[in-house]
Amino acid sequence: MSGILVVAEHRNKSLADIVHQMLSKGRQLADQAQVELLAVVIGRDIDASAAELARWADRVIAVKNDRLEEPLAGPYQKALSPLIRERKPKIVLMGHSSFAMDMAPSLSVELEAPLATDCVDISLQNGDVLVTRSIYNGKVNAIHSFAQSETVIITGRVGEFPVEDCHRQGQVEEIEFASEEGFNYKKFEGYLEEEAGGVDITQAEVLVSVGRGIKEKKNIQMAEELAEVLSGVVSCSRPVVDYGWLPSERQVGLSGKTVKPKLYLGLGISGAFQHVVGMKGAKMTVAINKDAKAPIFSVANYGIVGDILQVVPELISKISELKGKTG
Amino acid sequence: MDIVACIKRVPDTSEVDVIKIDASQKDIEKDRLVFKINDWDEYVLEEAVQLREKLGGTLTAVTVGHNDWDDVLRRALAMGADTGIRIDQDVSAEDTHVVAKILKTVIQQIPHDLVLFGAQSEDFGSGQLGAMVAEMLDIPHATLVVGLEAEEKRVRVNRELEAGTLESYTIELPALLTIHTGINQPRYISLGGIKRAMKKELQVMSLSDLQLSPDALNPMVRLEKLELPPKGEGAELITGAPGEAAEQLTKILKDTGIF
Repeated sequence: MSGILVVAEHRNKSLADIVHQMLSKGRQLADQAQVELLAVVIGRDIDASAAELARWADRVIAVKNDRLEEPLAGPYQKALSPLIRERKPKIVLMGHSSFAMDMAPSLSVELEAPLATDCVDISLQNGDVLVTRSIYNGKVNAIHSFAQSETVIITGRVGEFPVEDCHRQGQVEEIEFASEEGFNYKKFEGYLEEEAGGVDITQAEVLVSVGRGIKEKKNIQMAEELAEVLSGVVSCSRPVVDYGWLPSERQVGLSGKTVKPKLYLGLGISGAFQHVVGMKGAKMTVAINKDAKAPIFSVANYGIVGDILQVVPELISKISELKGKTG
Repeated sequence: MDIVACIKRVPDTSEVDVIKIDASQKDIEKDRLVFKINDWDEYVLEEAVQLREKLGGTLTAVTVGHNDWDDVLRRALAMGADTGIRIDQDVSAEDTHVVAKILKTVIQQIPHDLVLFGAQSEDFGSGQLGAMVAEMLDIPHATLVVGLEAEEKRVRVNRELEAGTLESYTIELPALLTIHTGINQPRYISLGGIKRAMKKELQVMSLSDLQLSPDALNPMVRLEKLELPPKGEGAELITGAPGEAAEQLTKILKDTGIF
């Protein structure tokens, strides 16, 4: 079997967190198969990133291009596909990030290589690559194999592959990538940052977090009241922002904020992984949800399977009562 | 502007307590599940209908599945699509490459300045299909679009990165976009809309109508089997009536020094 190649994503001159997760998994697979671990980074000012990749990788390919400051899917694909054709890695591995979602599918079509995205496990069995995907709202796992192919492309789910530090000194190989023609039809205009709002949920010690299960906008009032008796603030999962019930500054998760409160109390939150990666640093998690199989119950310390509209008013009154007694 | 919206039907498993894997080990038992339009695709249809209202042109909704998938096309027609096309083939467990090849062939036959997909599906969630089809059609794409402004010849899009950052592009048409939730507020469908939609005729095509042989579809990713995920440690469950459960939880919160 030929090597394993990790595609490194970087922004503002540093590697994305997911890259270390993929390097760790890639290292493990490369050791098992006794092949080289390659890492590729593309862009301008990539020396520091290349040096960091060399701690895991046997060989780092630093593709230099002064005009490619940002990791953009189109130009990255143009630079990557000839490289993959030439080096023929068995597995091309990248994190299932927004960047990879934009690039990996079209790369797989261009290379006619199989693609499995958002995998939660990757293994080698008798030389065959097997992946596990989490489907149907995290309630079922699907195990996939690949048809005969020189290269398979795999993207790994954020947070599923623990980072194992490594202290190699791999070789860094620099190559120039000159062409940036053909991108006039898709012009990068820049990044937009979300405007800072009035409430910073990352600073709160107690978060009462509402999800789709809150059902109606008016029920957020109940969460506000619970947050108030606990001296906390209300945060939420993505659907609540999508519905326009709370501003995006309150959103916890991959596309929102990462929070580490003392208490994270989820109301009607199912616990999709995009949400969980943003809150798993909480010291204590409590979930109230009427779906007993909601994935949030596997990350929570305490759970109540029940109707939040019934449980929460009771909770507010019991807490207020006890606070009243102890003053 | 001529728009093609590709949509799908999914089982609603968000609040289903027991999912069973069937005897083949390659599918779940679906007879008790409720089916609906994929969440992301509601946003696709709303965006498509708004663009059509603003810029004119045609709006064609496309899906790939057997005849019970007509309901998502009816929904598209009720929202304002002109035409619904269903490719009569069950691809629900197929490699995305296969579905992409079918859709690419269909889209080539329809006027398309802008092709819209949902950013992912609720059931399998691979998020691959749109960008694959774009590459096959050799047109530019942007995935995870949360902001879209369209003119006759180009679109300005914001796509979502991590942690509240957006990436902004101007893209010349024809182009393909995958639409993320929250880009708009999908409208409610009126009774009149549903009645009108029932009267419109759907086009049904087979693979042979598309001159695609099943052999040419060539799946590259194979489903070996489905499993129920291993049961993790999980939460300590507090049981009892709402009042009792609330009381126990209050005590736990008090004892851990939360208040």
